[in-house]
Amino acid sequence: MMIDFLQSLVDGVLVGTTYSLIGIGFTLIFGVMHKINLSYASASVGGAYCGLLLVGAAGGKSALLVFLMAAAAAGVIGYVVYLTCFRFIPASHPLGTLMSTVGMLLLIDEIVVHATFGVPVAYPPLYEGPSIELGELYIRPDYLMVFAVGIAAMTVLTLLLYRSRLGLATRAVSQQPVAAQLCGIALYRVNAATFVVTGVLGGIAGAMIGASVGMLSPLLVLPLTVKGLIVTVIGGLGSIPGAIVAGLMVGGFENVLQYYRGVTERDLYVMLLLFVFLVFRPGGLFAAKSERN
Amino acid sequence: MLRVGDVVTAYGQLEALKGVSVAAESGKITCLLGPNGAGKTTLMMTVTGLLKPKRGSIAFEGQELVGLSPSEIVARGVALVPENRLVFPDMSVRENLEAGAYLRRKPAEIAADLDRMFERFPRLKERAGQSAGTLSGGEQQMLAVARALMSRPRLLLMDEPSLGLAPLIVEEIFRIVAELNRDGTSIFLVEQNAHMALKVAHHFYLIEQGRVTFSGSPGQLAEDEVIQRAYLGSKRG
Ligand SMILES: Nc1ncnc2c1ncn2[C@@H]1O[C@H](COP(=O)(O)OP(=O)(O)OP(=O)(O)O)[C@@H](O)[C@H]1O
Ligand SMILES: [Mg+2]
Repeated sequence: MMIDFLQSLVDGVLVGTTYSLIGIGFTLIFGVMHKINLSYASASVGGAYCGLLLVGAAGGKSALLVFLMAAAAAGVIGYVVYLTCFRFIPASHPLGTLMSTVGMLLLIDEIVVHATFGVPVAYPPLYEGPSIELGELYIRPDYLMVFAVGIAAMTVLTLLLYRSRLGLATRAVSQQPVAAQLCGIALYRVNAATFVVTGVLGGIAGAMIGASVGMLSPLLVLPLTVKGLIVTVIGGLGSIPGAIVAGLMVGGFENVLQYYRGVTERDLYVMLLLFVFLVFRPGGLFAAKSERN
Repeated sequence: MLRVGDVVTAYGQLEALKGVSVAAESGKITCLLGPNGAGKTTLMMTVTGLLKPKRGSIAFEGQELVGLSPSEIVARGVALVPENRLVFPDMSVRENLEAGAYLRRKPAEIAADLDRMFERFPRLKERAGQSAGTLSGGEQQMLAVARALMSRPRLLLMDEPSLGLAPLIVEEIFRIVAELNRDGTSIFLVEQNAHMALKVAHHFYLIEQGRVTFSGSPGQLAEDEVIQRAYLGSKRG
């Protein structure tokens, strides 16, 4: 009994890194734009599709190539989303970018459906090998790979944010855009760069989802959007550590409930978790520190 | 050094600057005094490129600034210490200063300037690793000044650096202003604290309701009248 619980928890947490990445993407874009980009999960899955279809069209089969291509394509899509949904839409309009990103979500979804005739496509696993046994616990190698890649991506992102000039600029813009401009930081460039970087993260997440499920389907987009938003809210809008922890938490929670209550009921409990957070901890896991000002 | 000519800046229909002309001379401290809502901050934002004027010209060392982006203007040597300081609250004091040097590319020079800032503002040195949001108001103001200096400006604009600070801190700020000027930085200072501003200014302007209503040197107008007009505006309808 206990071992089943642990097994589904571990599996869920390992795959939860993909939720963490999607949550980080939502949160980072919110940090610099103060807007939600609803097309983000859709663009991430779209990027994963691009990787598969582009490498396939070129006659390639390498899973690594598919993976890298997915990340690159999603970065490009991120830039396109910025140009079409944010760059020229007045930020002062409260719903402007929300509507444009909903439009983009539907558009990407539609393109995917047309390109694949609405049929799910097989996705290559990044790594195959024997399961690792920890006592009675089985660690699936493909899940472990997903986890490792996710952690690596987060590490690189953290270094980028806290150790690079672009990272300094990004944090400056998200904390105090007027002062950032007065320091000579060009807002548009930082914004565009944020969309590219989060796009790449999303592409990685999308490819890892494809790899861990074994296939990609347009049906993934909506649940991933909802999960990504839930992770963002539970983690606290704008908090990267929050998104990471919340992603792992939602991943584990959902998988445990799937084990006990079945796949049809599971999302109900995830919503319930969100509800509990909204009522008791609306600021998220690491509610923002109070500041003197 | 800076020549603002007949600048009109509007928020929608409302013209906050209705044809403002002021100048800042090289090596001098120029002050702009005026009551709340006179348009002082609007002028600072227009000079630094954060707002686009509807009309008029802004020349710095003979080059037109209107139409340039804020970062191009910083690169030309104009830096603003903004109203309310606007430090980056979740970044350390050191990172705030590094952000000030964002456009500069020589790490060795930046490091040297960082040391000089810590020398000039010892309190910032003590708090180098602390996040800026936890500093006191006075310390945040010092940080905002130091951050602006990190871009090595030839002209330093300051928007109400004394705002909300205790008298002792205000004196310290003005001492620093005079010191910076002595070391060769030209300064354009916006203030409501006329008493302190007149002590350091070489030249000053009064601005009321978007128009310059006086231009002269500190001795030229009785301090009482300046204070009256800087706080309340003159009683012209
Ligand atoms: N973002 C804005 N939108 C609309 N009107 C504005 C905006 N900012 C300022 N104003 C208006 O423009 C006028 C000038 O404002 P400004 O902030 O330049 O005044 P100020 O002289 O800096 O005042 P204070 O001493 O209070 O800082 C005011 O009437 C103000 O209401
Ligand atoms: Mg002001």
